[in-house]
Amino acid sequence: MAELLRANLVAHLSFYRRSRLLLAFLILFAVLTALATVPQFFVDSGVQNFNKLQEIFGTINFFLKLFAAGLGLFIVSSHLRSRNLKMVFTKPCPPWIWLGSAFLSAVLVAFLLNAVVLGAVTALSLLWHLPVRSGLAFVAADTFGISIGLAAYLMLLATVLHPAIAAILAIILNADMFYEGFVWARSAIHAGNQSAGARVLEYMFHFLYIIAPIMHPFSRNTANIYVSLRVMHGEWKYLLYSLGYSLGLSAFCCLVALSALHRKRHI
Amino acid sequence: MIRAEDIRVTFKRGLSRRPIHALQGLTLEVREGDFFALIGQNGAGKSTAMYCFLGLLKPTSGRVEVMGQIPDLGRPVYSDVAYLPEEPHYHLYLTVEEAVRYYASLYGRRVSKKAIEDSLERLGLAQFKNLRLSKCSKGMKQKVGIAQCLIHETRLLFLDEPTRGLDPIAVREFRETLRDIHHRGATVVMNSHVLSEIEMLANRVAIIDAGRVVAQDDLSNLLTGDRESYIVTFEPNGSLPEYLFAAERQGTVMKGVIPKERLYDFMEFARTHALGLHECSLKKTSLEEKFFNIVKGGHGPVVESAKLLK
Repeated sequence: MAELLRANLVAHLSFYRRSRLLLAFLILFAVLTALATVPQFFVDSGVQNFNKLQEIFGTINFFLKLFAAGLGLFIVSSHLRSRNLKMVFTKPCPPWIWLGSAFLSAVLVAFLLNAVVLGAVTALSLLWHLPVRSGLAFVAADTFGISIGLAAYLMLLATVLHPAIAAILAIILNADMFYEGFVWARSAIHAGNQSAGARVLEYMFHFLYIIAPIMHPFSRNTANIYVSLRVMHGEWKYLLYSLGYSLGLSAFCCLVALSALHRKRHI
Repeated sequence: MIRAEDIRVTFKRGLSRRPIHALQGLTLEVREGDFFALIGQNGAGKSTAMYCFLGLLKPTSGRVEVMGQIPDLGRPVYSDVAYLPEEPHYHLYLTVEEAVRYYASLYGRRVSKKAIEDSLERLGLAQFKNLRLSKCSKGMKQKVGIAQCLIHETRLLFLDEPTRGLDPIAVREFRETLRDIHHRGATVVMNSHVLSEIEMLANRVAIIDAGRVVAQDDLSNLLTGDRESYIVTFEPNGSLPEYLFAAERQGTVMKGVIPKERLYDFMEFARTHALGLHECSLKKTSLEEKFFNIVKGGHGPVVESAKLLK
């Protein structure tokens, strides 16, 4: 089994390394990140270096999450669409090993990117003579956890849907949107709209919000850390909870994706 | 080695979920050590049958067993199976060497560098080992598929149109390789449209038409089934024997067919009429003729299948 895992991991990492689509995404993210952060270096309207650091870190982390989702989406959709899994599954390599190694490879890349970003912002802190705050490590680890959850969720969607539809579903029809819908429907009801339609919408949005994966399940508890980059005693547990949620979500998504992979015709 | 009993595969296509019956009660048996060929027209169901044997497709009904097990994705039974697909659906982002190594590693055994190099050398791929598969020609991709089949000495080999896209030299070398593999005891199941190739390699054949096996037998039985007559070529000298049929004149000579039981009568006729006898040989039926007769012979297939299907 170790040899199978190793062989698949090497192949998946080669895929990431040579995928022009991922390279294009990486360049796009780099350009967008630069556009969003470079002006910070030239603005000097009393803005503290700390604020610049926080802004840069936040922007890069946002793109890291998107990139990790892209890894999960492309690794599955590309192999399914090129129909080369028949070369894998007609050998003593069960689908769970292939899928597990695909997920592991995405986790490895996400970890590497998060580590590089953490190293870079730490270096920037030192360069600007700022204290290296524990919140940097907290946010980096939290971003990593969210990234793996996103990668697994997109892997699942790519197994059952066309990649374009999967991307749209992940970007637009997510828990945040359903929550907005739920709040809007509830507000309408509180404002006096007693129609059955409003009630149905409220229940529907609430149901969808509950079943859709949440990327920041403890955002209320950790929002302060993202702003101050300080972690108070007793707040580290939220990182563990968040990582636990991401791992649980990943395991669920991988199991459903595996079941879908078994049902597919790889011909 | 492989047993398929009354397998049916129905696909549902389009918005109306129109059913397409790819296999309609296919029954066949491949014995250990066979070089078994599946032949049939395009869309007859040869590849679908192979997908069922490989576990890539689950039959709608019926039963398939490969080496005593029901095939399913990635089962341990595949440690003794190699498969060369019809379309080169390979990992195009890998180089030639990486692809062969990857496919060989999927058997769960570490593959030595030398084994990979030997395999690439044997198929003339050594100089292209660093070329990505996306940049390779169809023939080269096919050779990569063949190379990964040769690394492990598997007991069962599935080949779907193996020589498609190969140059004539590579075809001949591949044929020799297949003979070697078969002689060391491996069972080979092959789909091909190249009937001359099948005649050279296979010992058993199944003819598939419209999702059913219409004939299945040893190739020698299939081809000698019609050896009830002799072809004779001679210089006529007046009258012709009344049992000579399908006679045609070719310049100064006459060519025709005589029934097997009239061979001695014909010899006597030739002696008494002083015929210049050029040739007298057992009539051979090519696989192509046989295939055409069975598949395109109107009611022929039903009669033939009743006779040949075992």
